[in-house]
Amino acid sequence: MIGRLARIAGAYFRSALQEEFAYRGDLFGNVIRSVLNLGTAIGGVAVIFSHTETLGGWTLGQTLSLLGIFVFVNGFVAMFMSPSLNRVVEEVREGTFDCVLMKPVPALFLASARRFAVWHVSDIVLGAIVLGVALAGLDVRASGWGVLLFVALLACGVAIVYAIWLALTTLVFWFVRVANVTMIFNLFFQTGRYPIEVYPFWLRQLLTFVFPVAFVTTVPAQAVTGRDPSWLVWIAPVIAVVAVLAATRFWRFGLSRYTSASS
Amino acid sequence: MSADIRVRNLVKHYQVADREGGLRKSLRSVVRRRHRSVRAVDDITFNVQPGEIVGFLGPNGAGKTTALKLLSGLLHPTDGEATVLGFIPWERRREFLSQITLIMGQRQQLYWDLPALDTFLVNKAVFGLRDADYQESLGLLVDLLDLDEILTKPVRQLSLGERMKAELAAGLLHRPRVLFLDEPTIGLDVTMQQRIRDFVTRYNATTGATILLTSHYMADVNALAERVVVIDHGKLLYDGPLSGLIDRYAPHKTITLRLERPVERRDVAAFGEVVEADDLQVSVRTDKAQAASVTARMLAELPVADLSVEDPPLEYVIDQVFHRRES
Repeated sequence: MIGRLARIAGAYFRSALQEEFAYRGDLFGNVIRSVLNLGTAIGGVAVIFSHTETLGGWTLGQTLSLLGIFVFVNGFVAMFMSPSLNRVVEEVREGTFDCVLMKPVPALFLASARRFAVWHVSDIVLGAIVLGVALAGLDVRASGWGVLLFVALLACGVAIVYAIWLALTTLVFWFVRVANVTMIFNLFFQTGRYPIEVYPFWLRQLLTFVFPVAFVTTVPAQAVTGRDPSWLVWIAPVIAVVAVLAATRFWRFGLSRYTSASS
Repeated sequence: MSADIRVRNLVKHYQVADREGGLRKSLRSVVRRRHRSVRAVDDITFNVQPGEIVGFLGPNGAGKTTALKLLSGLLHPTDGEATVLGFIPWERRREFLSQITLIMGQRQQLYWDLPALDTFLVNKAVFGLRDADYQESLGLLVDLLDLDEILTKPVRQLSLGERMKAELAAGLLHRPRVLFLDEPTIGLDVTMQQRIRDFVTRYNATTGATILLTSHYMADVNALAERVVVIDHGKLLYDGPLSGLIDRYAPHKTITLRLERPVERRDVAAFGEVVEADDLQVSVRTDKAQAASVTARMLAELPVADLSVEDPPLEYVIDQVFHRRES
């Protein structure tokens, strides 16, 4: 089953590559966009730290590490997640989602792993570079366990993002036009550029328990920069598992509604 | 032999939001939607035997597409039963979905910017086709649909007809045993419609696939289906051979005359209902049973230069079916 799904995802990925190669201009546009985005973000951090030594208790190096993680995850999401899920929204509106449901493959899989925006690889690479450079300046010694913990936390963060986005996408089965969903998502997601400690109390709670962006950047960054890991580290896997389970259940519910209600 | 498609008292109701025109009423509908229940499919029963081609006829909104969606597993019914190849469609089992296809003239699955061949390769993976099987299917389809030139061009550069051919091929690579074709010739020019029709006939003859198709081009149904199922307002009105439909709803013949010189209209009207009358060309509709004697009398009494007797066009027959239902 897994092997078969991997083969299918591979076939879709190949097509995505070919599609992108058809528009080479996109490569340059994306690289320029990535660099500009990163430049402004680093500039913003630099401006803040010209006035202060620490930001919510985070040093410049630690904050840059966190920014690197943010850019990396942002690129990952833009490359592997949003294209497929956005496509679902379009397809439900246009009616071509029926073609997806006719395939002998679980609909959730096709909704999640069918489209890829290959050029966002530039964000992934740049994010990794920023993280690497910032960490080098921090003089933290990474143990094997530390790296493993970081990767695990990052995976939890990505899983949480997936769950949120899947749940928002599922709304399409009720409202059909949910283009604003991406905007809502981004509004919250962009708060992940800075450590959660900079936000006021109420927003911290919101970003931890309701729209758990804290687990996407702050928590992995705590682990990798040698800051005292907060108790959030230990509940990250729990939140991730609960979020993904809840989102997939919600998706199934939405899908069953779609197949019983549409004309 | 057991039926490939078995439908028993199938019912599908669904809710549609009633939106009235006008800004104020639209505004109100944001807060409170009024819903109306539509009986898209209303107690339909029929069977389709393996290898049969059945034409699904009905005006727009009659429930044809809903019925196809039920049978292909996209919708859950409100009530009733159906099996396709022994499976309950809406359980959407993998074995079921691997053996059927739903091709909709107005929906496309091909990658827009890539040659159709790339979509085919994706479908090969999706359906888990072995290389040999894939090559064999592809060979057959290229042959029947004349796809050689088409497959390597980006889909966006194809004409509507070429795209439909590629779309058909994409939907048939996995050699489905049951085909649901929803308006496969819609929007195509007459020549292309003809070619798609020829393809469906030949595909059916070659593979023995069972085909249920909807169309509102009568020529499609005429050419393809020996048996038709007519539905309107979700109800089944007729199920049987096409010729029976004509006998039952339009037992007429149309006699068309070319005259040597103009005659008084009432001289012609004596023979039957005048459908069309020019100076020298007149068409008269008569009862099928009397067509022969009327023809003989016409030849004797009118200055006939040429004469032909035809069955009424299918459009007219269908018109009669729905007209009679309303009156």
